[in-house]
Amino acid sequence: MSRNNVFLVVILTCLAATLGGIKWYQSEYSSGAVEPIVLYLPLPHPYCNAVGEGGYAYAEDTGTGVRVVVGQESTQANVNTNVESMYTLGHQGFAIYPVDPAGSKGLFARLNDGGRQVVCYGAEPMEGSAASFAVATDTRQAASQAAEELIRLMGGHGKILNVLESLTDANTPVRKAAIEAVVAKYPGVEIVQTVGDVTTEAKAREKIESALVARGDEVDGVVCTGYTTTVAASVLLSERNAKSGTKRIHFVGLDTDERVLEAIRLGYVDATLAQNPFGHGYISCALIDLMQQGWKPVEPYQFIDSGSVVVTKDNVDDFQSGIQQVTEQIVAELKGRYLVQP
Amino acid sequence: METSSAKTVTGFGQKDWVNSRTLGLILFAGILMVAMAVATPSFLTQDTFFSQSRYVAFYVLVAMSQAVCLAVGDLNLTVGAIGSIITVGLGLAISPEFADLSPWIAVPLVFAIGPLTGLLNGIIITRFKIDAFIVTLSMMFVYMGLRSGISGGNSYTIPEGFWWLGQGGLGGWLPFMTIIVLAILWWISYLYRNTVLGRRLLATGSNSDAARLSGINTKRMVVVAHVLSGCFSALAAIMWASWSGNAAPQTGDDWLIISFAVAIIGGTGLSGSLISPLGILVGAVIFKLIQHALVILKINDNYSNTLLGGLILLAIVVDRAREHFGKDGK
Repeated sequence: MSRNNVFLVVILTCLAATLGGIKWYQSEYSSGAVEPIVLYLPLPHPYCNAVGEGGYAYAEDTGTGVRVVVGQESTQANVNTNVESMYTLGHQGFAIYPVDPAGSKGLFARLNDGGRQVVCYGAEPMEGSAASFAVATDTRQAASQAAEELIRLMGGHGKILNVLESLTDANTPVRKAAIEAVVAKYPGVEIVQTVGDVTTEAKAREKIESALVARGDEVDGVVCTGYTTTVAASVLLSERNAKSGTKRIHFVGLDTDERVLEAIRLGYVDATLAQNPFGHGYISCALIDLMQQGWKPVEPYQFIDSGSVVVTKDNVDDFQSGIQQVTEQIVAELKGRYLVQP
Repeated sequence: METSSAKTVTGFGQKDWVNSRTLGLILFAGILMVAMAVATPSFLTQDTFFSQSRYVAFYVLVAMSQAVCLAVGDLNLTVGAIGSIITVGLGLAISPEFADLSPWIAVPLVFAIGPLTGLLNGIIITRFKIDAFIVTLSMMFVYMGLRSGISGGNSYTIPEGFWWLGQGGLGGWLPFMTIIVLAILWWISYLYRNTVLGRRLLATGSNSDAARLSGINTKRMVVVAHVLSGCFSALAAIMWASWSGNAAPQTGDDWLIISFAVAIIGGTGLSGSLISPLGILVGAVIFKLIQHALVILKINDNYSNTLLGGLILLAIVVDRAREHFGKDGK
């Protein structure tokens, strides 16, 4: 036998013996304890940070162990890699943003087969998935609310630039349909152009700027139903509306980045729809915690609307209290309305 | 007489089961395993083995799709793009909302796209004498555009009847994916160590001119390498779709970095002529162990890519240092 082959046999034998010894010791003398709940955030992002704060707050309020984990990128492959690693550690409940609603189905099935609770937040999973709950903004209602608010600001007539976000996001077609349905109700209102397929702020800025350069005189209002598009449009419209003598273009967006709130505060843009990311984290953890205590879902799958509030100059500094009330009300209703004792 | 002659041809006089570099990798992987087993009791469990060995199997396929090209002195930037085309094709063929074909018909049909795309890459590179980097970069955009155009960015449902390949296993601890990939690794190892074709592929990567002058059709070897690469990409895409229960067009977007990282960590020579299927297996184990360690040890997730990038760089530096000192030794 050659020297390399001898080394290989020695290394593999030593490794097997060492791992066997560790396994024996651990089974005799030690037991690992892990947090029962994992709140998985797909990537570092302001929305995810706010969801994470909800998870930390739940842990602090109740003393339940919540592990908040941030992924490296918002892809299903990355979610699967990280969540499966945590599954093997023994965490019992997972709150997950379904990055790809269809793609999450396999992961949720595996978690469920392993006896783990799964709750989705931020968006709904695909029909027939193993998730018991989805805690999210009612996408259709929020988009309708934003369109109604914009048309009200425009005085019930005018032309709208509809800015959509990623084509691969399951919420995008829902938002598009909702906005078109609202516009169809008003004879004096039309969508002059729809732009989309935007995943970054830079891309959003480029597309919105091109549309405004081409049709700025025609456009009376802009509606954005995604975070990146809302930030980009706010910055652009702030620059434009701040100039004296230019036609005022009304704007309603979605989400509450500080740049958007500041533009509202200064009166450069009109409104944005605040979602409840804190509640997404907090309520998801509460659901998992209760299920681990033995509470059972009333239905195999339930959607919990986490609520949304229109933020204008009038409430820009105190809208959070309204959102907080919605969260508290939902948490108070969990036992009985969504979960029952077996 | 014939058998005796064959014996002198196959094996090419190699006695070592593994080379010394792969031995070093096995030792490093072993140290990592021991460290993680000490760090967390849940590491040495059936669940961990089942879950993590599937990733290792998947990474091996993705890395092999790059390594076979690197071994002939080329590279392939289309590994992920071919994977995404295959995924979209599989979705269209198998999804109940579209063709709804049986997996037994759809999978072989869709798999064929892999070697065909590889063949196309190889022919363009060799016939038009264009650098592989330029050809595969261009073709990457062609394939990515096709997948977006065909799919419109939408995912396709994979029927649960086809989940068994990616999600099933023997005895609840040995995934089918792992078994298949181990068989493929044995076959590819045999190909490179014991067959004339394998030695010709390596000779092409070692010194293309010398190989050509000694009668090897080096252009054909480059085409063969790209066809093999397409096969591995196709297999990885099909297994991933079965595993995730979904055919997402974004599949393959992150394969390029994985393919280089695992292949290089596994000892594949960047300048050709070196490939170690066992090394790639151990490289995939190390790559996955480090990813798993980031989760277990609760290292700040935002820095995990930095750590992985550092590891790849370290592997390249070690490889270069080994080459440098090896030459000095001579």
